[in-house]
Amino acid sequence: MILLRGTAVIAAALCLAAAEPADSPTNVPEPPGLYAGPQRGYTPPTLRGAKVIDGAAVAALLDGPDKPVLIDVAMRERKPANFPEGRLWLPVHPSIPGAVWLPNAGAVPLPPEREALFFQRVADLTGGDRAKPVVVFCHVECWGSWNAAKRLVEKGYTAVHWFPQGVEGWQDGHETRNLTEDAAWKAAAPAER
Amino acid sequence: MRPTLALTVSLALSSFAVCAPLVPAAYAAGASDTDQERAARWQEIAKSIFGDRKIEPTDTLVTLDTPKRAEDAALVPITLSMPERDKIKSVSLVIDDNPAPYAAKFEFGPAADTRELKLRVRVNNYTDMHAVVETTDGKLYEAKQFVKASGGCSAPMGMSDEEAMKGMGDMRMKFADAHPDKPVAATLMIRHPNFSGMQMNQVTREYTPARYIDKLTVSAGDQTVFTMTGDISIASNPVINFSFKPDGKPIQVAASDNQGGRWTHSFPVPSQTN
Repeated sequence: MILLRGTAVIAAALCLAAAEPADSPTNVPEPPGLYAGPQRGYTPPTLRGAKVIDGAAVAALLDGPDKPVLIDVAMRERKPANFPEGRLWLPVHPSIPGAVWLPNAGAVPLPPEREALFFQRVADLTGGDRAKPVVVFCHVECWGSWNAAKRLVEKGYTAVHWFPQGVEGWQDGHETRNLTEDAAWKAAAPAER
Repeated sequence: MRPTLALTVSLALSSFAVCAPLVPAAYAAGASDTDQERAARWQEIAKSIFGDRKIEPTDTLVTLDTPKRAEDAALVPITLSMPERDKIKSVSLVIDDNPAPYAAKFEFGPAADTRELKLRVRVNNYTDMHAVVETTDGKLYEAKQFVKASGGCSAPMGMSDEEAMKGMGDMRMKFADAHPDKPVAATLMIRHPNFSGMQMNQVTREYTPARYIDKLTVSAGDQTVFTMTGDISIASNPVINFSFKPDGKPIQVAASDNQGGRWTHSFPVPSQTN
């Protein structure tokens, strides 16, 4: 009886794990399309059509002959609505030097005009060359970069690199630079702040 | 699940906290540009908090102990040591790269013993942390540490908001053994989520409004030990270790938060032993 109950509990736990891939640190399956769940959570080890790389590989790309375009899609820090006036609020966004910051470009859903601008900005940054190496990242355990990289793969970019460890995986051994939001991305941003 | 009033619980496995990065420090580069950026940021913050007042470095008036790398960015233990009690008026804790950098200010009263003060904070990025003391002669001195942690301000608590707010304002106090004419070390534990306002409810995808303890006064009888001005960078369920000069009267604690919560508690001080 106890055994049976234990089995039932395990079975229930497995069902839960299957329903909530983001809660499992291992074996998170790749969703068939963009991932519409919460951005913060465990991510899959793979992204079909893209190369998954670590900090060393990012550094190697940056040192190589064909410099990649670095796209940071980390969300901006949200100022609490009820944060007191006059209290110091000074968000900062350290990232990989040279990266272009398109906050929340990995959101799902993304309004069509924002998605179009995302593709436009990447096209500008790659000079229209879809074979140009692109590295997409945000933070560790963040689906935003997975989604943004997925968008580029589906758009036909052939050298998409996904750097799942993101800023956390970079800053340990490398210089960071505080970024400001991409001007075109910011200028066209809806009043979401 | 995050423990509430437990003092020494390892939180390494708490569900969503973004903790130690996974990459070893294999490519330590000369960090000069990054260091310059950090120094410039500290200048900007110091100016907005302390105006044009000069801040001198110190190795003795205040020291700051932090983990080099935090296990849980939402719960980083900090120790401030100020052995020269008679010289210290207040201490400010600044977490430079947090979006709200001014984490806390402690103003000490006549019943304070400042040799050791501990609290737990949220750290959002790899950051310099500064402790700035104001001395009784009106000068400012700073100590600095670098802390590796990230994501602490937005890390969800791993439970519903209702659950996190259960028993809000409950307090406990632990006293170390007291000895005649010696300061007594005490640990104050307050049940309060200290919502940062940057935490997203993973189910509703809405941000939980900021709700944090903004004022905390601890007194021994009618003598103040300290008054703390707090911010969203203080970890949930605040735990503060401090010392005071006992005079036989109970310790009084008055806490308030930014949404109008008010709580007071009184704790009898155990009798002194030899």
